[in-house]
Amino acid sequence: MMIDGNHNPQDVTRVLFESFPGWAVGVFYVVGFGAIAVFLYGCFVQYRKYARGQSLRKALPPLKDRLLQMVVSVGTHRTLRRRDRSAGYAHALIFFGFALLFMGTATITLEYDILGPLIGLKFWHGNFYLLFSLALDLAGLWLVAGLVYMMARRGWLKPPKLNYARPDRAADAPDANRSFYQFEDWAFLCLLIIIGITGFVLEGARLLWLQNTPTVWDYRWWSPVGAVVANALSLAGFTPEGAGSLRVSIWWFHAIISLTFIALIPYSKAKHIFTAMSSLALRDPLPVQKLPPVDMSAETVGASKITDFNWKQLLNFDACTKCGRCHEACPANASGAPLSPRDLILTLRELAENTLEGIRQPEPEKLIAQGNGVFQVPTETLWACRTCAACVEICPVGIEHVPVIVEMRRALVEQGDMDPLVQKALQNIQKRGNSFGETKKKRPAWTKKLDFEIKDARTEAVDVLWFVGDFASFDPRYQRVSMDFARILKAANIDFGILYEDESNSGNDVRRVGEEGLYQHLAESNIALLNDCDFKRIVTTDPHSFNTIKNEYPEFGGSYDVEHASAFIARLLDEERIPLKKGLDGRRVTFHDPCHLGRYNKGYDGPRDAIRKLGADLVEMKRCRDNSFCCGAGGGRIWTPDPVGKEKPSENRVREAATIEGLETIVVSCPKCMNMLEDARKTTNNEDNFEIREVVELVAECLDDSAISVVDQEHVAEPV
Amino acid sequence: MKILVPVKQVEILDEDFDVQDDGRSIDPDCIECELNEWDDYSWETALQLMEKHEGTVEAVPMTVGDESADDGLRKCLAKGGERAIRVWDDSVAGSDPIAIARLIAAAAKKENAQLVLAGTQSTDQAHGQTGIAVAALLGWPHVAVVSALDYSAGDGKLTVRRELEGGVEEEIEIALPAVLTIQLGINEPRYASLRGIKQAKTKTVDLLSPSDLGVPADQLGEHGSAARVRRMYIPERSKAELITGTPPEQVKRLIEIVNELKGA
Repeated sequence: MMIDGNHNPQDVTRVLFESFPGWAVGVFYVVGFGAIAVFLYGCFVQYRKYARGQSLRKALPPLKDRLLQMVVSVGTHRTLRRRDRSAGYAHALIFFGFALLFMGTATITLEYDILGPLIGLKFWHGNFYLLFSLALDLAGLWLVAGLVYMMARRGWLKPPKLNYARPDRAADAPDANRSFYQFEDWAFLCLLIIIGITGFVLEGARLLWLQNTPTVWDYRWWSPVGAVVANALSLAGFTPEGAGSLRVSIWWFHAIISLTFIALIPYSKAKHIFTAMSSLALRDPLPVQKLPPVDMSAETVGASKITDFNWKQLLNFDACTKCGRCHEACPANASGAPLSPRDLILTLRELAENTLEGIRQPEPEKLIAQGNGVFQVPTETLWACRTCAACVEICPVGIEHVPVIVEMRRALVEQGDMDPLVQKALQNIQKRGNSFGETKKKRPAWTKKLDFEIKDARTEAVDVLWFVGDFASFDPRYQRVSMDFARILKAANIDFGILYEDESNSGNDVRRVGEEGLYQHLAESNIALLNDCDFKRIVTTDPHSFNTIKNEYPEFGGSYDVEHASAFIARLLDEERIPLKKGLDGRRVTFHDPCHLGRYNKGYDGPRDAIRKLGADLVEMKRCRDNSFCCGAGGGRIWTPDPVGKEKPSENRVREAATIEGLETIVVSCPKCMNMLEDARKTTNNEDNFEIREVVELVAECLDDSAISVVDQEHVAEPV
Repeated sequence: MKILVPVKQVEILDEDFDVQDDGRSIDPDCIECELNEWDDYSWETALQLMEKHEGTVEAVPMTVGDESADDGLRKCLAKGGERAIRVWDDSVAGSDPIAIARLIAAAAKKENAQLVLAGTQSTDQAHGQTGIAVAALLGWPHVAVVSALDYSAGDGKLTVRRELEGGVEEEIEIALPAVLTIQLGINEPRYASLRGIKQAKTKTVDLLSPSDLGVPADQLGEHGSAARVRRMYIPERSKAELITGTPPEQVKRLIEIVNELKGA
């Protein structure tokens, strides 16, 4: 057994207030309760702040599912380890170390202050105490080790994402400088490490002080770190008496600083302990895929004031730990646009802190969130977003940035404040149902170049209703893909049809721009049309249409079986229903994941399976799948040119692909990616190096045994 | 101060269109209507004045047209303003810009407007007359093709700028009441959201007839107009041909063409 037979297990325990005069114990309790009172008041202030937000308009999954998901995320530290493993593991050391130490202290309180006095139950001694002691020593060690790594990371490694320079402010703006956050970060680390280290010194001093008490000294190696410290103190010349007086001063120091930490939790970075976990427990499974609904009859639409956000969003703002993962993933930020998802969240947090934490709310003008003032988000920042969801996807604490941006855009749209080119596109869609400003009659014009006729799904029953989409109908480059897709479907004997001139823009990007009224109009008219047709499933080559039909149309009465063309083709290839005449003979290709197919809808494998089935040599880019880098066209940005003189996201992407040795083709699976990357291929002088091809085109190429590639046929297939 | 902003629904032709049998107009099936581009700018100018001088400046859009012209007014009201005026009865059909101006001038008097902000011209007809004719009929001063405007509350005047040839700008002080015609680019017109357009349906559009405005029918329509459209047609396209071949062949072809044109 662990306990020596000569000792009564009851005596093997740790002294708490030994040698303290009664008044000192009293002072400790007063300070303790004071700290808890300050903590609770802080929690109340935070609660009152969140309560000043709107209620949730979108239903979340059942609480138990969300809690389970949160416990798994926190327990495994899965979200924290992604794309920054060492920081994730260091955080795990701190988190589990802190959690164990906290539970340890709580156990002592439970026995000493509650169960002991109330029912005389005592258990904190003997073998339990020894194991407890060992566990807490290890926990302390983890805590300190994790903190040391974090300090080294901030002090020496200095990853760029921890630089708080703001892309959304001029250097001389009054709120351009966020270095106070750096001070807070360091204060947080220092405070914790001091608590950890003084804990060990306190333990060592206690052991040395009681070295003549066998029930303590004989068991000192159950607190290995403390025992080492005791030996060190002894070597340093401390006598047991000296250690005893050291213990008293360190005891007070450790106690005061620990209680200060507890009191400060709701007022500092430390509050993320609560806000991050709550945020994770409030996660929406489809935050960007299915945007929050709007009450169109309400007096105002969208968020222009801080109180227009819902309480969950206000809580999200407080959950940010400035880890910089979103900052690093954001394509707008990477291309020098005045947007960093982190800075946007922090700005709104600061606005909420400065307006909603008081007893009274300030006058409405002070609550305005959008503008060029302090604690305000500039319009350019909001329009820079491509709604690619890279930020939402990587945020370790479950912050949902994109819906926040869209809510603010909704308010801007109501005020009519937007880029003239976006206005033009929206007006075209209002008038003609497409963003190209073409007449409705021209929508199916591309079909005339085919040597067969496509069924009219409005009048005939079909198995597959192909929702073509705007770009696939009107963009000259992509019209060739549409023709190829038609040929593939025909070759595979699929019974398919299209909606001809009655199809309207699906509305996906219109909704992400924030024009909810127009979105609902488009969704409703497409749904009314689709509900009148007889089909089994919808297939589309456009991931944007795919997303909104799949995730958002059900809310407006349109629930369909929808499949993206890439997955559909992969399935047909798998079932050997497409008569291939040749393969791609190890052609070296890479695949660019479209946001709306990949990150939004986890359609990572369809295109890859198809590419591999054709016999191409698929080499992945470093940023692929969930970490794919947006082409820059999402969220309505397809309608506005990027500023000149800065690297566009698409150029950044094409340059990334160009590093693959011997690359022949960048394969895309989205009309907008095609458009953007084709341009970028030219502007980066890669025209002679590789081509941009659709998965559909690669399949169509293999339908035919002639050696002409579709690109060579450009003169044959003139834009319609 | 009350501002009257005359706006117009203009015709946008399809790529393929036909002239109607009367030979004087386009087949309405080949036409879509939308608010004249210049009027987006003049209405935005009025809205900005109204917002800057909240409570003291009121802006009212008006149009001369049948029921279908309401769409243009709704688009204006979606952006701001509380009411609009539409003037119509059958006697108005076929009016030239001067006749239309009679109705606008009468409305300006009836509304007791101190400022009329018209677009410089319309995209479909491009007469550029209406606004100026309103000024003439009212006997008010006017400035055309205005590219900037400044007004201080309570001032009996406006300061406006216009761009002249060669990059020169002219700054003009003009006493109220006055008529301005507004140039593109004076501001960035805001977007009218679909929700706003729907909500604008609850705002008032006062329908007035020419007689409500005291404009007699004989000053309207084709008969009351000094100008009328005689014919609308698609001009024959001139042909160009690249003559190729050896010099003798080219000469031969050239002589053929000359003879063809001579009608020989």
